[in-house]
Amino acid sequence: MSALAAGLKGFAGRYGPGVALFVGIAVTVWVVLLITLPQLAMIDISLRGSGALHGGTGAGHTLSNYAYFLFGPNGQGNLFDVAILLRTIVAAVAVTLIDVVICYPVAYILAHVASGVGARLMVLGLIVPFWINEILRAFAFRIIFGSTGLINGLGTSLGFLAHPVDFIGADVALYSSLAYSYILLMIFPIYNAVEALDRNQIEAARDMGASWPRIHWRIVLPVAKPGIASGATIVFMLTAGALAAPQILGGPSSLWFTQLVYQWFNEAGNWPRGAAYATVLLVTCLGFVLLMMKVFRVPIGAIGR
Amino acid sequence: MSAASAGGGGRWASTGYGALFYLFLFGPLLIMTGTAFNSSSFPRLSPWECFTTDWFGVLLNDRRLMDGLWTSAGIGLGVVLIAVPMGLAGALALSEIAPRLRAALYTVLITPVLVPGVVLGISTIVFWGQVGRALGMPTTGLFFDGVFLTIAGQVTFVSAYAMLIFSARLQRFDPTLTEAALDLGASPGQAFRKILLPFLRPAIASAAFLTLLASFENYNTTVFTILADATFTTALASKVRYGIDPSLSALAVIIIALTLIGAITHEAVMRRRAAILSGRAARSRLYGHPAGRLAVHPATILALLVALAGLAVWQGSRYDSSACRAGVLEERRALQEKLMQEQRARMRQTAPAPAVPTEPPAPGGNGSGFGGAFGSGLRPGGSSAAPAPTPAAPSPAAPGSPPPAPGSNPAPATPFGGAFQGIRPPGG
Repeated sequence: MSALAAGLKGFAGRYGPGVALFVGIAVTVWVVLLITLPQLAMIDISLRGSGALHGGTGAGHTLSNYAYFLFGPNGQGNLFDVAILLRTIVAAVAVTLIDVVICYPVAYILAHVASGVGARLMVLGLIVPFWINEILRAFAFRIIFGSTGLINGLGTSLGFLAHPVDFIGADVALYSSLAYSYILLMIFPIYNAVEALDRNQIEAARDMGASWPRIHWRIVLPVAKPGIASGATIVFMLTAGALAAPQILGGPSSLWFTQLVYQWFNEAGNWPRGAAYATVLLVTCLGFVLLMMKVFRVPIGAIGR
Repeated sequence: MSAASAGGGGRWASTGYGALFYLFLFGPLLIMTGTAFNSSSFPRLSPWECFTTDWFGVLLNDRRLMDGLWTSAGIGLGVVLIAVPMGLAGALALSEIAPRLRAALYTVLITPVLVPGVVLGISTIVFWGQVGRALGMPTTGLFFDGVFLTIAGQVTFVSAYAMLIFSARLQRFDPTLTEAALDLGASPGQAFRKILLPFLRPAIASAAFLTLLASFENYNTTVFTILADATFTTALASKVRYGIDPSLSALAVIIIALTLIGAITHEAVMRRRAAILSGRAARSRLYGHPAGRLAVHPATILALLVALAGLAVWQGSRYDSSACRAGVLEERRALQEKLMQEQRARMRQTAPAPAVPTEPPAPGGNGSGFGGAFGSGLRPGGSSAAPAPTPAAPSPAAPGSPPPAPGSNPAPATPFGGAFQGIRPPGG
């Protein structure tokens, strides 16, 4: 706090008390009123019984909503919901890995191979699909992968598919759409990291006879690592927290964990349980990301840079 | 030698990979664009029926979407007005405070970007609901209003986007400029208004644009905070979830067109600025000639693009596909008629002894025999979307055959539906 006050004092000296006041108030409102208190309110309501169905505060606190997540209605274990959480995490990891594999070469090309007009066109081409609404991107994948969609239509009429394949039920459409949606968020962090690499290092390694895989493994990848970590964190969190794409592209038998939250909250009208499930999602995702950062030795400050 | 060939190989590999990558990136958009102009009521490219622009009309007449557009515009305006100053404040605070505290503040402020939108939405309505109840507000009050809650929820993370943009710009700010202004007798307020704010102006513009877009696009948070109301994106999502038609493709076409116009104009502005800054403009003949200068001015390019788009809209609104559609319908009817004739002929052959009443169906029949007859009649036609195995025996008195379940898609619910499904118009 004192450091903050000192910072504001320096501010007041340079830009006047008005600006310092504005910065102080805005940051306080943001941190306290918009970030911290709402999260606490959510955790609070998740600890209430069903007396607080629509946001009212029922009698005292209880862990029953979390117990429901783990053990189900009759205490025998809630395999269904826990399995959905695990499946969501595993699928989000898979989508993230796919994006890393797709995007690393593009980021490298963008930073060190392409130049001039080509590079500018490539950047432009990356941004255009990102402008399209998230819902419409999912819709496009439904056109492509639907049971009467493009691939099935072409496949059956050209004869290499005997009968339509259920891409939606197999979640192929969902994973493709999620990977597609977050490509840009993976490429830019990697690009920013790789761009800092001195080309001479690559030349030197090549002159000394290193093969391309070896150059990438020993020289480019270490430089790209913070960028990959940053991109992977963003893509993982967004994928695990995605709601629209699973609602539009999810198979009838497969649910995303966010859909469970949505069902408890909006369809069942059970706010405490919905909040408990949301808290479970948040804690699981953040915990997983922190664990991965520990494993790969990446500082959290690298995110978003 | 080997290095050169490796470099050449690397270049080829990267070109090939880049081409594949951009195919993946643009393929869905191109396919979606194509389906917007096909008259088939399910968005598809192959069977192509008629070129039509009717889906744009369908889109514009969708009341829910258009109402949502206005709600979204109001929310977007509110979010920009709050999130841009807030992001600026965050970036200024980060640039000023002690490094150890900076990391902590940065982590706190960046968290809303990473937190799932579902969590933000829930925490927002729960928190403001509690505040409203504590203040004794009626449930029609501000804190129970969908628009207010949506702005509050979106600002939480959208401000962080603005903050990242301002932080990037601030890193290139030279603080000695402010020192110089203060030494020369400027008041601190003047230093802020005349030195720092003008330096940040491009960042303010891009932050405003990005926050507007993020607010407009957002679904995960908004679907909770908007309550009973609907924004453009939530209306769109419910439309996609409960039945899709090509008017959504038409929407994508509009967005893609607007994006391209914006991107090309932006590129023109950047090139012009670079040319002028580098001094190339002064030397070049294109910029030296008044007509040339006018031709490459971004405003000219924008006007040209808008005029082109306007022309396309005008032409499209006059285009009438009803003749072609009637043709397709007629073609189907003829094919259907032909199939019915064939069917009748076959039924006469297979069951000649009893006088089989094929049309109208026998009064006691439940109609399923009729459907079964069409099902069997369609199979030899080699249609790709073969109906589900309905009873093949064309006996009208098939007491055991259940009527087709209404929900099961491939099974024809009516004889007509079945017949239509099997038919592929030529040229598809």
